[in-house]
Amino acid sequence: MRIALDRIKGIIGQLQDFYLLSFHGLVGTLRRPFYSKDLIEQMNYAGFGSLLVILLISLFIGMALSLQLSAELSRLGLKMYTGKVVGISIIREIGPVLIAVVFAGRVGSGMASELGSMVLGHQVDTLRVFGVDPVKKLVTPRILSAVAMLPVLTIIGDAVALFGAYYIAVFVSHQSGTFFWSSIRDILTYENILAGSIKPFIFGYLIACISCYMGLSTKGGAVGLRRTTTQAVVLSFIAIIVADFIMTRVLLYILGFTL
Amino acid sequence: MIEFDRVSFSYGNRLVLHELSFSVHEDERTAILGGSGDGKTTILKLIVGLLRPDSGRILINGADITEKAEDELRDIRIKFSIVFQEGALFDSLSVKENVAFPLREYTRMTEEEIDRKVRELLRRVGLEEAIGHMPEELSGGMHRRVAIMRSMAAFEPKMFLYDEPTSGLDPVSADVICKLILDLSGQGRGYIIVTHKVFDAFRLANRFMFLKGGKIVFDGDRPALLGSTIPEIRIFLRELNLDRN
Repeated sequence: MRIALDRIKGIIGQLQDFYLLSFHGLVGTLRRPFYSKDLIEQMNYAGFGSLLVILLISLFIGMALSLQLSAELSRLGLKMYTGKVVGISIIREIGPVLIAVVFAGRVGSGMASELGSMVLGHQVDTLRVFGVDPVKKLVTPRILSAVAMLPVLTIIGDAVALFGAYYIAVFVSHQSGTFFWSSIRDILTYENILAGSIKPFIFGYLIACISCYMGLSTKGGAVGLRRTTTQAVVLSFIAIIVADFIMTRVLLYILGFTL
Repeated sequence: MIEFDRVSFSYGNRLVLHELSFSVHEDERTAILGGSGDGKTTILKLIVGLLRPDSGRILINGADITEKAEDELRDIRIKFSIVFQEGALFDSLSVKENVAFPLREYTRMTEEEIDRKVRELLRRVGLEEAIGHMPEELSGGMHRRVAIMRSMAAFEPKMFLYDEPTSGLDPVSADVICKLILDLSGQGRGYIIVTHKVFDAFRLANRFMFLKGGKIVFDGDRPALLGSTIPEIRIFLRELNLDRN
C-alpha cells in the first residue's frame, strides 16, 4: 500500500515537473537573454538534419498509399478519386502524424540523449554554477526549433508524398495527371490546410517538452541514459497519437464537419 | 566560512548524509575522503546550492543558503570555483568557447578582450595551442586544466572546490593537476578537495575528513589520520604503503 502511494506521489511529482518545464521553456522565449546561436544550431539539427529522411519516407509513403488506393478504388470503379483520397489523407492526417513520428524518433531521441549526457557529465550543474538558467539555455531553443521546423518539414513532406502519389497514379495506374492535380487543388481548402497545419506546431511542442524533460531527469549512468532516451521516444509517440485524435475531433467540430 | 549544521540529504529513499555538521574556513586546505557513493560530491553540490538538504542549515559566511532562490544563489556561487569530476567541459564548444563561456555570461568584454583573456588563462596551464580543439580531442589531464581555468575565468573565487580532480589520470597528469591546484591557492584562498586518492590528498591538504555511512567519522590533521584505527581509513592508507597489515 505504502509502495503504491509512493509511486502515485512520484508520478504526480513528475507530471508537475513536466508541466513546469514545459511552461518555463515556453515563457523563456519572452525573457532575456536570448540564445540565438543555440536556436540556430538546434534549427539546423532539427530541420536541415531531418530533411533527407523526411523526404525519403514521405516519397515512399505517398507512393505506397497511391498504390493501395488505386488498386482498391479501381475495383469499385472509382479510380479517378485516387488523388482526392490520397490528398486528404496526406494533408490532414498521415503527413503531420507520420512526419511527427519520424521527427520524434530522430530529433526527440537526440534531444533526450544529449541533455541526458550533459546531466550525467555535470554540464548542466556547471551552467547553474555560472548563473545560467538551464531551461532558458537548453530547453527554450529546442522547443522553438521543434515548433518552427516541424511545420516546415510537414509541408515539404506532404508535397513530396503527393508527388510520389502522383507518380504512381499516372505512370503505374495510368490515370490522368491533370485530373489528379485538379483533385488535389480541390481539396486544398482553407479547412483542410488549417487541419493539417495546426497539428505540427502542437506535435513539435510536445516532442520537445517530453524529450527535454526526459533528458534532464536522467540518472543512473549509461543504463539510465538508455532508459530516458527510449522513454522520450515512446512517450512522444503516444502523445502524438493521442493529441492527433483530440485535435482531429476538435478541428472537425470547429470547422463544421458532420460525422 | 562554510558551516554545515546537522545537514541531512537523501536521494529518493537512500539517505546519503545524516545530520552532518562541520565548518571550513576559506583559507583551509581540506580533503574529504570516503568511498564511492558516500556523499562526497553531494557535499560540494550542497555548498554551492545545486542541491537542497532535506533538513539542517548550510551557512556561507553566516548567511543561510538553504532557503535561497536560484537567482539569489548567484552571489554565493561566484565566491567559489567548482571543478566537477572529469572537467564537465561543454562538448559542443571548443576549448576557447568553454573558457570564454563565463566571460560572456558575467562580463561585458569585447571579443578581443575575451580572446586575450582566454589565451592568457590557457597559457598559464600550457594549453594555448589547444585553443581551437574540441573537448573530445583533449586528454583527461588537459580536460581538468581547461576546466580549472574556466572556473576562474570571470571572477576571483574565494575558495576552490575540486571533485576528484586526479581520478582516472596517469601519475604525470595527476602531478600536473596537483601542482596547478597548489599554484592557484594562497593569498587566503583555500580549497576543498573531494577524493578517494589518499596520496593526492596528502600532497594537497592539511585537514582531512573521512565520510562513512553519511557521517564524518574522522576530522583531523595528517598525523591524526595516519594514527587512526578506523578500519576503512586503514584500508585507504594502504595506498601509501604505510599500513602493511
